[in-house]
Amino acid sequence: MIELDDVTVAFEDFTAIADVDLRVGGDEFVTVVGPSGCGKTTLLRTIAGLQEPTTGTVCIDGRPPDVAQANADVGFVFQQHTLLPWKSALENVVFLRTMADDPPERERARALLASMGLEGFEDARPQALSGGMKQRVAIARAIHLGADVLLMDEPFGELDEITRDELGVEIRALWRRERKTVVFVTHSVPEAVFLADRCVVMGGQPGRIQRTFEVDLPTPRDEEVFGSGAFQRQVAAVRRTLHETHGHE
Amino acid sequence: MATSERVRAAAADVLYPASALCVGIALWWTIVTFADVPSFVLPSPRAVAAQLLGNPTLYAHNAWDTLEKVVYGGVVGVLAGFLLAAFVAYVPWFRRAIYPSLVTVRVVPKLAIAPLLLIYLGTGTTTATVFVALVTFFPLVLSTAAGLDRAPAEHHDLLRSVNASTLERIAYVDVPYALPDVFAGLKQSVTLAVVGAVVAEWVVADDGLGFIILLGSENVRPEVMLAALVVLLLEGLALYGVVVLAQRGVLRWVGLEFE
Repeated sequence: MIELDDVTVAFEDFTAIADVDLRVGGDEFVTVVGPSGCGKTTLLRTIAGLQEPTTGTVCIDGRPPDVAQANADVGFVFQQHTLLPWKSALENVVFLRTMADDPPERERARALLASMGLEGFEDARPQALSGGMKQRVAIARAIHLGADVLLMDEPFGELDEITRDELGVEIRALWRRERKTVVFVTHSVPEAVFLADRCVVMGGQPGRIQRTFEVDLPTPRDEEVFGSGAFQRQVAAVRRTLHETHGHE
Repeated sequence: MATSERVRAAAADVLYPASALCVGIALWWTIVTFADVPSFVLPSPRAVAAQLLGNPTLYAHNAWDTLEKVVYGGVVGVLAGFLLAAFVAYVPWFRRAIYPSLVTVRVVPKLAIAPLLLIYLGTGTTTATVFVALVTFFPLVLSTAAGLDRAPAEHHDLLRSVNASTLERIAYVDVPYALPDVFAGLKQSVTLAVVGAVVAEWVVADDGLGFIILLGSENVRPEVMLAALVVLLLEGLALYGVVVLAQRGVLRWVGLEFE
């Protein structure tokens, strides 16, 4: 459970986000979509405790983010894979858990990598993996951490569209298996709609939540969804909201 | 097939420079013999070899003296370099205060400092050691400090997101990222350490290969100087080799060796 109450983050010369109220339930998948510079990354970093809110409060399972950090309850996936180049895929997955002072569980990590289509690549170094594989390892690392909350900052931003769609399907399946609280930031509207139970549209300067959409699509979802009329209508509605708020600037 | 090709490529890597070296020595020999160059200008390779092999203890002894200065000074310089680099990398006010001076002082020819040390520390091994330390210190500080900065900001955020301590971050992320730079600096340092030891021996010492070169010059005995140069060359190569081996070992151990 993530709770943000009236959160504003101001830097020296500009305000990134203002008056954000957001609740994300126990096993909910929420996407945040908005144009570049609308503060969506700042929002995610604030939830993770990487950025102090100027005013307002952030709670993860009723506790401040730094306590959640100490309990290894925050799994952050960055746009860059952030794998250590001198460690194998498996060692990278295990490494973060060790840093969180939890005992590594190599067999579970191995099984997790295998379940994400990385069987046979456990001992490969990041530079031997494709972009999509590297992000899979980064996601596996966050899950192996055992965090309740997964925060993903445009993790597929640098991948080609086909890999993106594939990983979208996988991450939904993974989420249904692992029952995590997910906040997923993206600037791709179709991605935001496809992944979400609830899609939050951000915009403006400073960034505010403009509107929230309940996404009414079947679960589980696969590539078929991309072609459905319901999906197209949702995407169109989100897009309209984005353009409206953008037009007002 | 692939292995035999690799062996052939490796053999060629040795064969080409070795042949060039032989041709060079043959050329030297030919010129000295047929152009009638007096031996006090340029002795023949044979005379140099005879000098070297005729006085093995002299050269071995002085090579050891030079090595001592390089090792003592080098260790002091390297440790001081690491310490200062850590301060530059992790103490912001210290960096702002010191870094510009460090970069500026690098331009000063360190060799010019040797006579100054003579005044402060007198003639003796301490002066030579301090001078070698000074010479090795600079390239190491700058490359190590740059290396410790190399880890991407997201890696720091990643460790912060699980509340890892700063020390853990330095040990598991910053230091491995810095290693290639550290070794690049060490390679520069080890080369400069030998140069520094020789210069120190010219200025202050009464032993070592630098001192032999000085004596040879005063007595117009070029074969003495050339023999000392050969030993110096071998010593420098051996020291450089030690650093390369250490680099290979450490990088392989960490997992940074990709070849």
